[in-house]
Amino acid sequence: MKTGIGVFFAVVLTLGGSWFGFVVAPTMQLGSAKQTTVLVTGETWPQQRTGEATLGLQVYRANGCAACHTEQIRQDGTSFEVVLTGVKKNAEAVSNLVATMKLSGLNKDEADAAATIVTDAGGKVETYISATGADIKRYNALRRSVAADYLYDAPVQLGSLRAGPDLANVGARLADASWQLTHLYAPGIVKNSSMPSFKFLFEVRKIGSTPSVEALNLPKEFAPADGYEVVPKAEAKQLVAYLLSLRADAPLFEAPFTPATTKP
Amino acid sequence: MSDESKSCSLPSNAEPTATRSTVPMWIIVVTLLLLFLGFVFFDRHSGWFDSKVYAPYGTADQVQASQPVSETGKMLVVGKQKYEMFCGSCHGSDGMGKAGVAPPLAGSEIVVAKGFHRLTMIPLQGLAGPIKVKNQDWNMNMAAMGAALPDYDLAGVMTYIRNSWGNKAGDVTAEDIKDIRAHMDKSGAQIQGSKLMEMSE
Repeated sequence: MKTGIGVFFAVVLTLGGSWFGFVVAPTMQLGSAKQTTVLVTGETWPQQRTGEATLGLQVYRANGCAACHTEQIRQDGTSFEVVLTGVKKNAEAVSNLVATMKLSGLNKDEADAAATIVTDAGGKVETYISATGADIKRYNALRRSVAADYLYDAPVQLGSLRAGPDLANVGARLADASWQLTHLYAPGIVKNSSMPSFKFLFEVRKIGSTPSVEALNLPKEFAPADGYEVVPKAEAKQLVAYLLSLRADAPLFEAPFTPATTKP
Repeated sequence: MSDESKSCSLPSNAEPTATRSTVPMWIIVVTLLLLFLGFVFFDRHSGWFDSKVYAPYGTADQVQASQPVSETGKMLVVGKQKYEMFCGSCHGSDGMGKAGVAPPLAGSEIVVAKGFHRLTMIPLQGLAGPIKVKNQDWNMNMAAMGAALPDYDLAGVMTYIRNSWGNKAGDVTAEDIKDIRAHMDKSGAQIQGSKLMEMSE
């Protein structure tokens, strides 16, 4: 064992290196992450979830939703659009100029150049920034996911496989709670869905003197027998509250875009 | 040692042995080249561990340069805030007004008029007496709610109401408000509803 000391140091270096890279460096980078502010409006982001939605995260976890759903939206790039918002002088010349120019789908430098040309001619312009990428397009997202989005997730349900769609922005994309409940009970309402039914989060019971206001409004092929109604249990309502709390639609410093509210 | 050297000399059951030799120069060159390229890539794409830098941005400067800058946008946000504070309780957050309290602003002829002089005079001086909004008669009394607002804030409110709830009438700047203030009647009297439509747009 005359090489024993060498082996020892090699092991320390290998394990220490990966510990540093996977544990220490990320902790230094994000360990002290706090709420961040939304651009323009200055609101804090993210807001703490409601109690029901916080419980819903545990329902999400218990049912292994993360096995088939991710909660992370990727972004490939940014796209700039220069928009004419008014004219100071030479109205006709400006409108003729703008008609000949390419003003959307630009990169930063092209947008700056175009804005300068139109401004010099006498127009007033604003530059709109939007995120681009396959995920952004597919999930109607406005920006990528960033670390701040997961601040109140314990544990974070990032997921690694998309047998079902990404859910990082599902609260903004499918904001209807009754649709979400119906879909959990009968995923078949979406054509070719491979999602299993979460029937055990619901109670099928005989209609009493009056039907429950919470009873699902199911299409015929999924409806229970006559005289019965499907009512969500507490877990189903918590899960839906959690799903609706998943949003990636606020512009942040680290993932900027021009919000629709500031577009006149 | 002596045992080992003896066995080495017997070719029939020889153990394989290793001797030292120098690392070939090309491996050193290739390793250094890969390291160099790795560092260049790291420098361009890592953001140097800045927690605010995410792909597709490579550096903090790129993130900074991509922040939306919008004068109208800022003004709309300020305007909305001030509107909710001073106007919304009567005219409604949805701009639809309230029966018996205040006429609607959404789609109102006075709001979406080409010019904004007449509209701006209402919060600056107040309005009393009968007016007609969207073919409905109103006879209310509004105080000069905007007289105490700074130019920028009032311009924000004007921009907001002229560009919200389906209105599309262009923006108003702080200089415009300053100009209107400089030329307005300073007696403090409310505008009479019957005189309102005689004012220039």
